[in-house]
Amino acid sequence: MPQAKIHREKPKEKFSYDPKKVLRMLDEHARRVLEDIKRGKNPYFDIPMRGLNNVYFDEESRLIKLGDKLSRRYFLNVAHARKFMQTLIIMAYVKRLVSEDKHASLREAYYANKHTIPGTHENTFEDQSESDPIIEDLERMFGVLREEMNLTADRRGYIYGDIVIRDGEDEFNASKLGSGGWAVPGTVEHIQFSEINVDYALVVETAAMADRLIEEKYSKKENALIIATQGQASRGVRRLIHRLHYEEGLPIIVFTDGDPYGWYIYSTIKLGSINLAYLSEKLATPEAKFVGMTMDDIKRYGLENVTEKLKGIPPSKKGGPTGDYKRIIEEMNYPWFQNEEWQRQLKLALDWGVRIEQQALANKSLEFVAKEYLPEKINNGDLLP
Amino acid sequence: MVEANQLFKEFKIQSVSEFFRRNAAMLGYTGKVRSLTTLVHEAVTNSLDACEEAGIPPYVRVEIEELGEEHYKVVVEDNGPGIPEEYIAHVFGKMLAGTKAHRNIQSRGQQGIGISGAVMFAQTTSGKATRVITSTGGDEIIEAWVNIDVDRNEGKIIKKEKHPNPKGWRGTRIELEVKNVKYVRSKQGVYWYLKLTAIANPHAHIELIEPDGKLIVFPRSSDYIPEPPVEMKPHPKGVMTDDVYRLAMKTKKNTVRRFLIGEFSRISDQKVDELIEYIAALRLIKTVEDKNLQEQYYQRLMEGDVKAVLRAFDGYTKVVKEVAKLMEKPPEKLTWHEAEEIVQAFKYMKFLAPPTHGLRPIGEENIEKGLKEILRPEFVTAVTRPPRVYSGGIPFQVEVGIAYGGEIPAGFDLYRYANRVPLLFDAGICVTTQAAHSIDWKRYRVDDLENTPLVLMVNVLSVHVPYTGTGKQSIASDEDIYNEVRLAIMDAARRLQNYLSGKHRRLAQVRRRKTFEKYVPEIARALNILTGEPEEKIREYFINFIESRFAALESEEVPVEEVEENASS
Repeated sequence: MPQAKIHREKPKEKFSYDPKKVLRMLDEHARRVLEDIKRGKNPYFDIPMRGLNNVYFDEESRLIKLGDKLSRRYFLNVAHARKFMQTLIIMAYVKRLVSEDKHASLREAYYANKHTIPGTHENTFEDQSESDPIIEDLERMFGVLREEMNLTADRRGYIYGDIVIRDGEDEFNASKLGSGGWAVPGTVEHIQFSEINVDYALVVETAAMADRLIEEKYSKKENALIIATQGQASRGVRRLIHRLHYEEGLPIIVFTDGDPYGWYIYSTIKLGSINLAYLSEKLATPEAKFVGMTMDDIKRYGLENVTEKLKGIPPSKKGGPTGDYKRIIEEMNYPWFQNEEWQRQLKLALDWGVRIEQQALANKSLEFVAKEYLPEKINNGDLLP
Repeated sequence: MVEANQLFKEFKIQSVSEFFRRNAAMLGYTGKVRSLTTLVHEAVTNSLDACEEAGIPPYVRVEIEELGEEHYKVVVEDNGPGIPEEYIAHVFGKMLAGTKAHRNIQSRGQQGIGISGAVMFAQTTSGKATRVITSTGGDEIIEAWVNIDVDRNEGKIIKKEKHPNPKGWRGTRIELEVKNVKYVRSKQGVYWYLKLTAIANPHAHIELIEPDGKLIVFPRSSDYIPEPPVEMKPHPKGVMTDDVYRLAMKTKKNTVRRFLIGEFSRISDQKVDELIEYIAALRLIKTVEDKNLQEQYYQRLMEGDVKAVLRAFDGYTKVVKEVAKLMEKPPEKLTWHEAEEIVQAFKYMKFLAPPTHGLRPIGEENIEKGLKEILRPEFVTAVTRPPRVYSGGIPFQVEVGIAYGGEIPAGFDLYRYANRVPLLFDAGICVTTQAAHSIDWKRYRVDDLENTPLVLMVNVLSVHVPYTGTGKQSIASDEDIYNEVRLAIMDAARRLQNYLSGKHRRLAQVRRRKTFEKYVPEIARALNILTGEPEEKIREYFINFIESRFAALESEEVPVEEVEENASS
């Protein structure tokens, strides 16, 4: 069989980070509020609604997208006034961050703006669960990422491989940082890729598996960038994946456990999530493909005795389906899993009642995953859509 | 066996005074606290009645001085008309003597036992005579020490002095020394009694000096002096055989017919003619032996079909003539049996309701003044219902006042009155208590009655209040009175409800407004950072905006436009 080696493609997007856009948005909205109040009108913000009711799957772009339902947040409304105030406080905070080129974590943003309102026993924010949603509101309202507003989440995930990254004044090669690689920050907007010497990016669910591949020199041998998500991919990682694919043309291949959680991680990277549907176009990568683990792998590589039982009650039994069974059935109904191959995999999992972890491949040998499993499947194009 | 003569050696006619000396509890002298309150009550009541009858705005001063262990001097002074010298011994010394007992009149006291009972109580506990200082405003002031000769039921002046009266002082001051009593500031003590009295008598100025020297003033809050009560003739529906019999013996009229017309209300010549027919009919019905038939006749009589009943008997005209003769004989010749017949006939006849001009309500305006002045509430309202009749012919009237909030402490309180006299005891069995607790207060926006600062006062007035006992501290559960009290409370409660609803609305509005105002400084600071506009200016824009929106609201009485922000998850 001819080797269909995977190669870098042509870029589709340009590096587009523009801090001025955020400042422009802030100014526009604040001025309108001021104009309204001057003219005796009840000032408001129009915020695209979140939640399942305002989310749809766009077949054409293959993305989970936000609908156009708006909620109007008034100042003069007992139920809105507090949130109206909080919105303006965060807006002012963002303005300072961006114009001073400083970054703050969500937790810092919460503490920086929490204080007792003079003459009351009330705080501007009672806890972080009040400030985080306001930040999300601004993202949807302005159509910008919170990373673009210099608000970051905890970093999670790392990359390893032969690419040169420029981060502020520093420039480094992500394969020369020791076996740990480079930890992906909360915000990757300002990062630039000076040099890329890999053919594709392999996104790996568990850190243990990523470490194994680094130790086996997989990235050198296969000319691949290894991206460890460490569970559900953080926004930084998803954004990084998106940028690597669209700005740098890197094919994206996802490697997760063969269980409902792993498949969901894949679907989030590929299509976006319900929570962040308004950001799908910046975070999701519909062209990503899935290498494993699949149910077929169990038979093909003789892994029957290293599978694990699915948790919960199967649909055929009384009280079912619950647990893993229930998750799988939900996933079977997702529009983005509506294709023959995925339906077959999910059905097999249900029928056999098993799941299989990436690490189960170590049952063959420690080198098996790096030397045989991945190269074979990837180079054969044996991938799921 | 003891001979009757032997037994009757010990037989002795007991005087009225002797009786009450032995049964002081019947007059309210029971318990150390209550005895003192009763004593003050008798004196203050006399003062108020005297002032009102004389058309004088009352000024009453009560002073309690502690002389020793459970030993006090009680001084009550008024600015009333004073007592003429020759009446002093009678007023203070003789039981069942007075200006009211023989008249059908609404008044605070009735039997004329009150003050002489007090004198007796003082005498029997301390051994001291009552000191009376009085003047009718003339040249001299009389000072007299009065004792009661218990055996003879007579007042005895044991010492008397006369003093010049250069300033023309007029009034009465009495000083009683009593033992076995106690001054306590409880809900059954003198302080509470005077406070409640002041509320129901806003035209009176009442002062109290407590044993520790503290002066408490319940000031006058109304210039209106209640008109003196008017005597009312008894209504035929409200009398018993004994009433008719006794009145007949006393009357100056010379025939039974004239006596009935003259001494009762709502009896005319025609009514007497009707009465003759009814008595005749009753006599004839009594001769019927068949019980069923008899019952039918009584029934038809009750329906007013007296003529038809008479015609059912042969020779009925003879009986009618006999009865008619009865009406022309002198009243003092009326027999007990005949009086009985008359009263029985009254039960079957129809009369106009009794006149009510003798009832003297406090009046809505004055109840409100009294409650306001003494309790300093936030809201007050009062209802005086039109007079009604209970037990067939006794007129009565109900008044209710409600005071809410302000300086009233949390908790429901019922102030009960009968003819303006506070009732401090036996609250549980009183018709007013039962009526007050039968009300569904939640319907009137009083959600938690026991914790609401609410005072309800109920005054039941009548020439004859049906008390439950001799202590006259609670009103019996007559159905007519119960219903009337309930209606009065509900009337007043509806006004309270209106007030509370408005208050809730206004409070909600204020609270709402504050919600917006408290956020303005935060918003101004943020908008200043965002736009560069001065903070002070932005604050002004917002405050002005809130101001104008709420001003518009208050004039239109519509709620703020509320556009719900859609749920987010």
